[in-house]
Amino acid sequence: MSVEPEPVTLTIDGKEVTVPTGTLVIRAAEQLGIEIPRFCDHPFLDPVGACRQCYVEIEGQRKLFTACTTEVAAGMVVHTQNTSELAHEGQVANLEFLLINHPLDCPICDRGGECPLQDQTMAFGPGESRYIEPKRVYRKPIPLSPLVLLDRERCVLCARCTRFCDQISGDRFIEMFARGAGQQVAIAAGEDFRSPFSGNTIQICPVGALTASTYRFVARPFDVHVADGICGHCSAGCNVRVDVRRGEVVRVLARDNAEVNDAWICDKGRFAFRAADGPGRVTTPLIRERGLEPASFDEVLGRVAEWSRGARVAFLTGGRLADEDAFALSKLARVAFGTNDLDHRRAFHGGLAEELEAASALRVTYRDVERAGAILVVGLDAEQEVPILHLRIRKAARRGARVFVVHSRETRLSDVAEHLLCRPGQEGAVLERLIEGGAAGSDEERVARALRTAEGAVVLAGSLLAEHPLATDVALRLSRRLGAGFALVPRRAGDRGALRAGVHPALLPGGRRLAVASERAEVEAVWGELRSSEPGRNGREILEACARREIDVLFLVGVDPLRDVPDAALARRALENVPVKVVQSLELGELEPYADAFLPAAALHEREGHLTTWEGRSQRTRPVRAPAGLSRPDWEIFAGLAEAVGAPLGFGSVEELREEMEALLAPREVSERPTAWVGAGVPQWLDEVTLFTYPLLVDEGRLSEGASELKAALEEPAFVEVHPEDAERLHLADGGWARVRTGAGEATLPVRVSSRVAQGSVFVPFNQPGLEANRLLSGRFTAAATLEAVPGGGEGARGGEGIAGPEAKT
Amino acid sequence: MSEPVRILTGRWREPDTVWIDRYLETGGYEGLRRALAMSPQEVIEVVKASGLRGRGGAGFPTGVKWSFVPQDTGKPTYLVVNFDESEPGTFNNRELVERDPHQFLEGAIIAAYAVQSHTAFIYCRGEFLWPGRILERVVAEAYDRGFLGRDILGSGYDLEVVIHRGAGAYICGEETALLSSLEGYRGQPRLRPPFPAVEGLYASPTLINNVETLSNVPHILVNGPEWFRGFGPEKSPGTKLFSVSGKVERPGNYEAPMGTPARVVIEEMAGGVLGGKRLKAWTPGGSSTPFLTAEHLDVGLDFESIQAAGSLLGTGAIMVCDETDCMVEVTRRLLQFYAHESCGKCTPCREGTWWVVRVLGRIEAGAGRPEDLPLLDDQCTNMLFRGFCALVDGAVSPMSSSLAYFRDEYEAHVREHRCPVTGRGPGLVAEQGAREEAPAATTVPSWADLAEELG
Ligand SMILES: Cc1cc2nc3c(=O)[nH]c(=O)nc-3n(C[C@H](O)[C@H](O)[C@H](O)COP(=O)(O)O)c2cc1C
Ligand code: SF4
Ligand code: SF4
Ligand code: SF4
Ligand code: FES
Repeated sequence: MSVEPEPVTLTIDGKEVTVPTGTLVIRAAEQLGIEIPRFCDHPFLDPVGACRQCYVEIEGQRKLFTACTTEVAAGMVVHTQNTSELAHEGQVANLEFLLINHPLDCPICDRGGECPLQDQTMAFGPGESRYIEPKRVYRKPIPLSPLVLLDRERCVLCARCTRFCDQISGDRFIEMFARGAGQQVAIAAGEDFRSPFSGNTIQICPVGALTASTYRFVARPFDVHVADGICGHCSAGCNVRVDVRRGEVVRVLARDNAEVNDAWICDKGRFAFRAADGPGRVTTPLIRERGLEPASFDEVLGRVAEWSRGARVAFLTGGRLADEDAFALSKLARVAFGTNDLDHRRAFHGGLAEELEAASALRVTYRDVERAGAILVVGLDAEQEVPILHLRIRKAARRGARVFVVHSRETRLSDVAEHLLCRPGQEGAVLERLIEGGAAGSDEERVARALRTAEGAVVLAGSLLAEHPLATDVALRLSRRLGAGFALVPRRAGDRGALRAGVHPALLPGGRRLAVASERAEVEAVWGELRSSEPGRNGREILEACARREIDVLFLVGVDPLRDVPDAALARRALENVPVKVVQSLELGELEPYADAFLPAAALHEREGHLTTWEGRSQRTRPVRAPAGLSRPDWEIFAGLAEAVGAPLGFGSVEELREEMEALLAPREVSERPTAWVGAGVPQWLDEVTLFTYPLLVDEGRLSEGASELKAALEEPAFVEVHPEDAERLHLADGGWARVRTGAGEATLPVRVSSRVAQGSVFVPFNQPGLEANRLLSGRFTAAATLEAVPGGGEGARGGEGIAGPEAKT
Repeated sequence: MSEPVRILTGRWREPDTVWIDRYLETGGYEGLRRALAMSPQEVIEVVKASGLRGRGGAGFPTGVKWSFVPQDTGKPTYLVVNFDESEPGTFNNRELVERDPHQFLEGAIIAAYAVQSHTAFIYCRGEFLWPGRILERVVAEAYDRGFLGRDILGSGYDLEVVIHRGAGAYICGEETALLSSLEGYRGQPRLRPPFPAVEGLYASPTLINNVETLSNVPHILVNGPEWFRGFGPEKSPGTKLFSVSGKVERPGNYEAPMGTPARVVIEEMAGGVLGGKRLKAWTPGGSSTPFLTAEHLDVGLDFESIQAAGSLLGTGAIMVCDETDCMVEVTRRLLQFYAHESCGKCTPCREGTWWVVRVLGRIEAGAGRPEDLPLLDDQCTNMLFRGFCALVDGAVSPMSSSLAYFRDEYEAHVREHRCPVTGRGPGLVAEQGAREEAPAATTVPSWADLAEELG
């Protein structure tokens, strides 16, 4: 589709450079290592030419040109400030203009020491100002949201922030208001800057006009330690920089990576950084005597080994494990304990699609999404689940991609995408119809045609689809039919790595099937003979077995089944019945009464390791500080445990571990075979309404603990979202209250009537304040439900804000 | 004194010609009939041959501009009539609409036909309440009589016209800001290229013309390009409507062939300087064009001659200052206009106008310093051609030219701490300054504050 543009050769400061047609002079200069000062220019935003700082002289032209808006031409001869007195003078004059109304309050400005205005004034600016008139003053600061503060008098009106909202996030909360010297960034009265990407505006603001409430007056660039990390909040794999001051994380910034996150991160990645420094963090190994008591690592590992010897052992993990940890665990379970009862999943894709993702990496990348001619998103609310992927889909749309979403709830792609809303569980049926081309004259026919005729189509299947047996395989089949790329998009940062490592009852590293001798043999060649070739229990089956006392020792690695598993009652029964519970985590939380042993794990930014993006890209993350207290990277704990049970894993360093991983995780080809979707074409739910749930970006999840500003800005209290026609039928009013009943429990929640949800479905968020939705679930993220209006607001629970008091009972 | 030429103003003596019946009786819509009988390409050729140049300020050849609008792009093509007329001293578009609105509407229909546009927008300056009402009525009349709508005069050509009211910003007369405003965005200029002819309104091919430019078109179609070239010099053919204001006996719009000496327009047509005083300075084309002086009164009012004299023909708005006017004050007031109208997008305009207004105000108030004059010279250099659009260039015009021609006046202000022309000292000027600028000189009331106060 993309034709490579012709190369053009021009001269900048006497040096020749060859760049593609259409390149801007400022970019061409960068290629030569020539820096032209700039404020409004940003490589990921459209050129605007507002600040006028980047003047260059072009031979044959009388006026100065702005390098950020001028495209190269063959034979063009450009002089920057380095070789043109005129350009230099123009830049000096412009900086003088920019500073006349600037407060010069650098000593109390967060940006001091890392401010492009400071830096460029030092490098290119006038030594002194000739301005003696009174300066423009504003009241300061204005909070745009609980996260973002605006000091208008520092603003150089470069419009980076407003253009970001317009061009990148599509959340146009802020705009330029008024004009002339009174022009200012502003927000509508009574509105908050409620964008999950708001923090990016702070980072790209070239002055200290936008600051973060979390960082205001906190640190200076010279008193922080920094390290390059990978965000652990979701599978997007954003490249970040973590700043630590006196041992405490004080800030997270985006690092540019055009292959992954461009220059952006979401507000969760940026502002939810206190979880590892919270009061709940436990950094000492504990063993249950009379109560949970501190002990040495060796002591605890020894006791755990004792309990496990000859016992029936199972492992559940959460979503935060690094690739190294997942691999070590996969080996530990099989080699040291001979069990295949291990799982990292909350929902079960099964089938070929999952195997493909486990076997090979990078089949669809961000770049493929960005350049796609059409994108089909199924069962994924990208903004809430994998926010940076959401931005990439928007970028593709801006480049002309047609975007379609099959979901039970309209997503924030609605301004660039067409949604095919369906009841939860019917996604597979919609996909089947798309495969068949759709009924004549139907939306599906139109969508199928658009997907078929687009160049470089991509199908992205989210974890909601994984709810329904083999529905992901239908999506895969559709992508094959269309000649489109296909990716399963897991939500959590460790999901893809865990799947590839084989933290899975039926799949070994690299997606090799345990039950297939030839595939098993490839693993045995490295690990030695495996004791069992029978697939183990999946996550749910493990809990059921625990509840039936068929398991003796349950390892909970970075997971709290009471909160994470879509069946709170089962989780509780499992914990009550399994004799030994070993918790390996950053904190104990609600597991405190159950844990028999606790093994303190290091936080992501305290250790070396890799995380794999939803694409399958493994990225290195580096420690910014030592593990807190006695905590250790998870893989080291696993290695210690293997040691203690007398079956060492065979790696003493990350390097040795990675060597083994590379051997087993090299991309493999998987021969495709037909799999059948069991529910094809048949509506799965015949009940009155189907309740479905998935986590919203900012929720009560453990990794967001302590992120009070983020929550104040973006966290919504629990609610139930109902389609207007269902609401009418059930006599529910917007803003009123409803009692939601499922087979598992009931809850009274404020009602939102909205045509964003498909008719026949009701949405409740998974883990917002006021409701842990897993109390309403019996193993799936969907459930048959009945709704009933509660007059007067649920036992008078309706608080002044109309948000307090939703309650859940089991 | 030669016989006055009346082409654009031919119907002005008759109040009734505002409405369509009388317009038709006086030869109205004949130009359109002729145009529709030709191919669009032929119409463009006729206008090209006439040598008509845009009257909105830049003087770009109109027929050439029309020929730039691409055909068969798969997108709609738009015509936008620029009736935002806000250049200080300029009021010819307004009178053209008030007195002979069908004339320009006919021109607009011809232009739309020439570029094969089926939707035209008339962007009407927000403050133009009365002209706006007239527009609504004449557009309705034109629809009624079949000059607009479907199958115009049986030609098979369709055109819809939409009148859009601006909201009171000078910058919205700048063509790209106008397009942003028309699309519902902030009225701020956009990058060029892409030029509006290729990617204008809604990223579609768009032709933008001034009201006076279009008013010429029916006459060219009826009388032919040769006839049109019979007026004015070779490179600036036709007549021009000069808006004369300021210190003259009879301010108003006067039509004269391009190239007519300024003296004829100011002294004969507008009756000379008010009260027989001495002329001190005048603008040939609105406040955005450099001042000329009494020495330049014999320069012909056409694009080339005025440019040779160091100024620009602009909109042909002649503002006259006499010997009793303080040029520092005049300049300060004009710069205040630009500071107020600067859209704020780019630094040299936004900050530069803010700064020089304050320096000029200080000099005027008797608090000037010797170093202020070189400072102002410098700011002229630092602002001219440095902005995103031409507004800031316009702002420099009165400043650079008054500094050049009336430097002694500035110097006297600085030296004597009072105005050498009016004799006003610091007290008086300060009081006046306070009234005009209020304490808001340093505190800009903000939208957010306002919103906050309103809750
Ligand atoms: C600051 C600024 C204000 C302008 N205001 C007007 C205006 O009010 N009316 C107008 O016709 N042209 C105005 N122009 C010129 C337009 O940009 C454009 O050149 C003109 O409308 C083209 O029409 P023409 O070719 O018929 O002259 C303005 C230009 C600038 C830079
Ligand atoms: S707040 Fe910052 S990013 Fe936004 S316009 Fe001002 S200086 Fe630019
Ligand atoms: S998109 Fe995901 S990886 Fe990126 S910053 Fe947000 S939570 Fe972290
Ligand atoms: S010169 Fe700049 S600030 Fe002034 S009006 Fe044009 S774009 Fe706006
Ligand atoms: S960086 Fe070029 S104009 Fe701002």
